[in-house]
Amino acid sequence: MTDRLTGGLLLVLSLGYAYQARSFDVGFMADPIGPKAMPFIIAAFMFLFSLYLVIRPDPEPDWPVRRVWVNKGLVLLSFVLYAYALVPLGFLLSTTLQVTFLAVMFKGKIWKGLAAAVVASLVLYSIFVLLLGIPLPVGKIW
Amino acid sequence: MNVLHSMAQGFSVALTPLNLLLAFSGALVGTLVGVLPGIGPITGVAILVPLTYAMKLPPESAIILLAGIYYGAMYGGSTTSILLNVPGETASVVTTLDGYQMARQGRAGAALAIAAIGSFVAGTMSVVGLMLFGPYLAKWAIRFGPAEYLALMVFAFSMISTLAGKNLAKALIATFLGLAFATVGLDPGSAVPRYTYGQMKLYDGMDFLVVAIGLFAISEVLVLLEETHTGQVVTAEMGKVWITFKEFLFSIGAVFRGSLLGFFIGVLPGAGASIASFISYTLEKRVSDRNGTFGKGDIRGVAGPESANNAAAGGALIPLLTMGIPGSGTTAILLGTLMGMNVVPGPLMFQQHPKVVWGLVASMYVGNVMLLILNLPLVKLFVKILLVPRWILLPAVTAISFIGVYSVNNSPFDLLLMAGFGLLGYLMRKMDFPLAPVILGLVLGEMMEKNLRRALSISGGEWGYLFQSSISITLWILAAVSLFTPLLFRKLKAVKDEAVTGEEEL
Repeated sequence: MTDRLTGGLLLVLSLGYAYQARSFDVGFMADPIGPKAMPFIIAAFMFLFSLYLVIRPDPEPDWPVRRVWVNKGLVLLSFVLYAYALVPLGFLLSTTLQVTFLAVMFKGKIWKGLAAAVVASLVLYSIFVLLLGIPLPVGKIW
Repeated sequence: MNVLHSMAQGFSVALTPLNLLLAFSGALVGTLVGVLPGIGPITGVAILVPLTYAMKLPPESAIILLAGIYYGAMYGGSTTSILLNVPGETASVVTTLDGYQMARQGRAGAALAIAAIGSFVAGTMSVVGLMLFGPYLAKWAIRFGPAEYLALMVFAFSMISTLAGKNLAKALIATFLGLAFATVGLDPGSAVPRYTYGQMKLYDGMDFLVVAIGLFAISEVLVLLEETHTGQVVTAEMGKVWITFKEFLFSIGAVFRGSLLGFFIGVLPGAGASIASFISYTLEKRVSDRNGTFGKGDIRGVAGPESANNAAAGGALIPLLTMGIPGSGTTAILLGTLMGMNVVPGPLMFQQHPKVVWGLVASMYVGNVMLLILNLPLVKLFVKILLVPRWILLPAVTAISFIGVYSVNNSPFDLLLMAGFGLLGYLMRKMDFPLAPVILGLVLGEMMEKNLRRALSISGGEWGYLFQSSISITLWILAAVSLFTPLLFRKLKAVKDEAVTGEEEL
């Protein structure tokens, strides 16, 4: 069932992908086929193989139970929050928070996780910024 | 071309203090990456590429560091196979069969030593092969026009799709997904924005590193969230890492057979180190297993595949350097890195960038020696890494991935993109879609489109031109054959799929 749904989704996506390519117009064509042709070719093959997936699906993969999905969702959400927090909070604070949270998710104790996170952030900061000279955000709230 | 002169030039590059240090760090980090299950060579390389950009390393130094990680990981992977029955990466899955048995009999030291010696011999042989065949192949490839290149890329895609996954349709979908991702951004031919949805940040296209780290590293973290067991325990008694002269003589034949086989398999696009090690084990069993000792701790069952996977890693550099065709996910990342530094691999590479080519070749020698002196005494220390609990290790790896992704463009937007690809990679892993073809498609997509359009410009829009020269006809036929009659590969795949479940092809 999963494969059938995925195949169906990919069918729709390949049609949408090709449909959008129709608007890639250029006034002056430097080559005979222009920017549309490659997307059309890709979409055609994608459509074909997705159709095959709908017709001949694999056995169902073993999906995790709901509780694990919630954890995964939280972890992904934390990655998104990290992306938004990194510049305002700075590397040290946001990484400490992120690593603590992940440590808890991987069944560590929160205080140990926090300690590990502080050490990890400081070590990584020293290696990458001080030793290798790679700029990381310092934060805007300080 | 005078090979000795070129090698001398190569060593003058490889033996500078900076490059020696980089080869050493690469081998060290690679071994760690190989020892840790879950973090494969492709993740290790992808995470560290942005650092080579940020440190402003010259191309030859960057590639020396990354190649060091690549073959260090090959080597580290075998250590855990032997000691713990846990392959660090796919290429060392078969090593568990006899290696772990040897460890249980108290001969882990001998197994580790022959793995090191075999890797060293194989590495050396593939370097010689690269010196002999590389320039020759480059001379031949110089006659390739856009039509021939296009056919060659199609051949590479069909090979990797055939070999990468269990389900051919899914592997092909993965390839075309990669090609579709490659079309995002400004069209190089006409500067029309494609699939950017008004996001200025997508005008340059999706960076292959952001995609690779998301697909491989982040998705791995998501997969590991499901696992309940917390750590490995070292059970096998190691003993001294050394072998007797008698054991050495006994296995030297397997080392040479494995090296030769691995090298030629590595040269084929799409067939990387994992497949080489599987074929080598099968072959070695057929040739040498007269008393039914294979699978019960036969040292030749370690020597053969361990040599083959290292030789293949070296062999894979030939199509990469001479034609710009990567044979695996990891070499695709090496290719992307070189192109990002304006070093475009291809037939002229040997003339235009001799420092990169011969420096890399020489550093492979140096790196192999380093691995030998690094690993034999330090192997006990490396295994200790496995005692670090997951709740420290995985969050730390995630944080390093974030640094890698962020430092590509200093853009938090890339972190969002990475999270998205992490989810995609997780779903693909769960549903048995191979991931390596996505990276290959993304890295080669632009070149493929360029060559297609260039070829059609030459012919004035006549599509038949793509199938005119004898080279391109041959390549198209090979591509079709590898897709539609995978009889030759079906058996090899069966062997591989039996041992590998849900693991990613390198």
